[in-house]
Amino acid sequence: MATRIPSAKILTACRAWYNTYLKKLVPYLYIAPALNFIIIFVFYPLARTFQISFYEWNIIRDRQNYVGLENYIRLFFDPNFRQILVQSLIYLLISVFAVVALPILLALLALQLTDKEIDLYQSLMFFPTVIPTSVAALVWVWFYLPTRTGLFNALLHLFGVTQPVQWLTNSATALPAVALVSNWKVMGFHFLIALAGLKAIPRDCLEAAYIDGAHGWSLIRHVILPLFAPTGLFILVITLLQGLEYVFVPIRVMTLGGPANASNNLMYAIYQEGFQFFRAGYASAMSVVMITLFGGFAYLQYRLLDRRVNYDR
Amino acid sequence: MIASRSEIWLSRGVLITVAVLNLMPLIYLVGISFRAPQLVFVNPLFPLTVPLSFENYRAVLSQMDILRYLLNSIAFSGSVTVGQLLLAIPAAFSFTYFSFRFKNILLGLVILSLVVPFVVTYIPNYLLLAKWRLINTILGLILPMLGISLGFGIFLLRQHFMGFPREIIEAAMIDGANSWDILWRVVLPANLSPVVAVGIYVMINTWNQFIWPLLVGGGHPRSYTLTVAVQIFYTSPEGSDYWGAIMAASVLASLPTVIVFLLMRRKVLASFVEGALRG
Repeated sequence: MATRIPSAKILTACRAWYNTYLKKLVPYLYIAPALNFIIIFVFYPLARTFQISFYEWNIIRDRQNYVGLENYIRLFFDPNFRQILVQSLIYLLISVFAVVALPILLALLALQLTDKEIDLYQSLMFFPTVIPTSVAALVWVWFYLPTRTGLFNALLHLFGVTQPVQWLTNSATALPAVALVSNWKVMGFHFLIALAGLKAIPRDCLEAAYIDGAHGWSLIRHVILPLFAPTGLFILVITLLQGLEYVFVPIRVMTLGGPANASNNLMYAIYQEGFQFFRAGYASAMSVVMITLFGGFAYLQYRLLDRRVNYDR
Repeated sequence: MIASRSEIWLSRGVLITVAVLNLMPLIYLVGISFRAPQLVFVNPLFPLTVPLSFENYRAVLSQMDILRYLLNSIAFSGSVTVGQLLLAIPAAFSFTYFSFRFKNILLGLVILSLVVPFVVTYIPNYLLLAKWRLINTILGLILPMLGISLGFGIFLLRQHFMGFPREIIEAAMIDGANSWDILWRVVLPANLSPVVAVGIYVMINTWNQFIWPLLVGGGHPRSYTLTVAVQIFYTSPEGSDYWGAIMAASVLASLPTVIVFLLMRRKVLASFVEGALRG
């Protein structure tokens, strides 16, 4: 059969070609679709943000002009921006107590109970996490109603305060009011993470330390906390990095950043500049400043993630 | 651990108190939704009133096109979940079992995509979708979500795939299976549980999205998700101050994820722990 010999030859040639060239492409082909989406919707926009920050750019009229560093210079001298920075820090400080320290403390307490009981509490506390934040915020709007028909003012009335508090429109209470909502939303989640971290500590370690005379606070301080440190650090880092993102929705639903920026923060201000005032250039400059400021936290989170990646060496 | 009885009771007391306080907003949410409209502002201190009234629900169902928004939400979170899994599974597979040039750089890029704040990408992504004429379409909601937070699934699945014995893969290779078959017939069936966990995590988080669906889909009822529709009802003239109906709509919007949580409680909790500890 004379015809078979060339076809077999071609086949071997094809296979050789495949083995030397195409086979090397296979791993990339598996990654390509995913990477494609990540580049288009994360890295390209990131690069665009840097670019837009050098323009005066009205996204509605689609009018753009190159202004160099003007946006950054204006930002530097903008007293509102300074106020917003300070408030972002205040908010993060509140969060460190409310959703880092508190859930870890609760998890330490829970550790004394049986697994069944712990499971019950973590399930109950987790409920707010599965509800959409935008929906949950509406219940809180009702709690904060500025009349005696709102829950909080009704409670105050019970204790003899007759003048209803304007929780959401008073500059002293607006920030704590939205912070309460966002922190309530993630408390149960962080409690869950803290518990998982504590439970991962081998019981033998704890019992051995107990037998060696470590009790109560000294057991916590010298045995539990060092072993728990990576989880604790993780909760702290995600709170610092995502805290402003958590409070975004409550602000949007409850105060719109007001009154007079009293409940505003960096992330919401970026959104406002871009989509309320349509100043994309200014918003992008704020984004770049934010990325720079939060770069430290982001790097920490990156390292925490990275450490678990186990790259090929 | 060893603790005295009084210590145990103290811990229990604190935890019960916090758990109940934590649940209060949800109790009120449900309670008010079942109150007759004229009683909504009576007795704010008590969440529940008898007899239960269904009038708020009737009002919501007649005033809002709930079914359509429900379908939109299902299309949105369903597509994002399925899409992310279909993209993440092959990528995670490749990052686990192949070695190739630039692997570490590409993997680093995937991880890096997770720490970029969402709000930074809002404006460019919006401009991109406007250019593609996808504003106020469900597709416009879905597409960016396939890139943002996708790294999380890749990363998580890779961690699981790495725990899968390599010998099985090598045995399959010797039997003449190609990598495509190995992925879908060997690796995937053996790792269904983590795949489901990632799916649940993505599903719940996408369902609860609000800002992005509002920005991109908030301009026309055809692209409202449930979370957006509830908000728009709340700010509309019919909805404002009609608290019973707002709460009823809120309950309806929360129901799907709550049902998933109740049915698969352990799985959901595990997926969130894993998502947090690893992603």
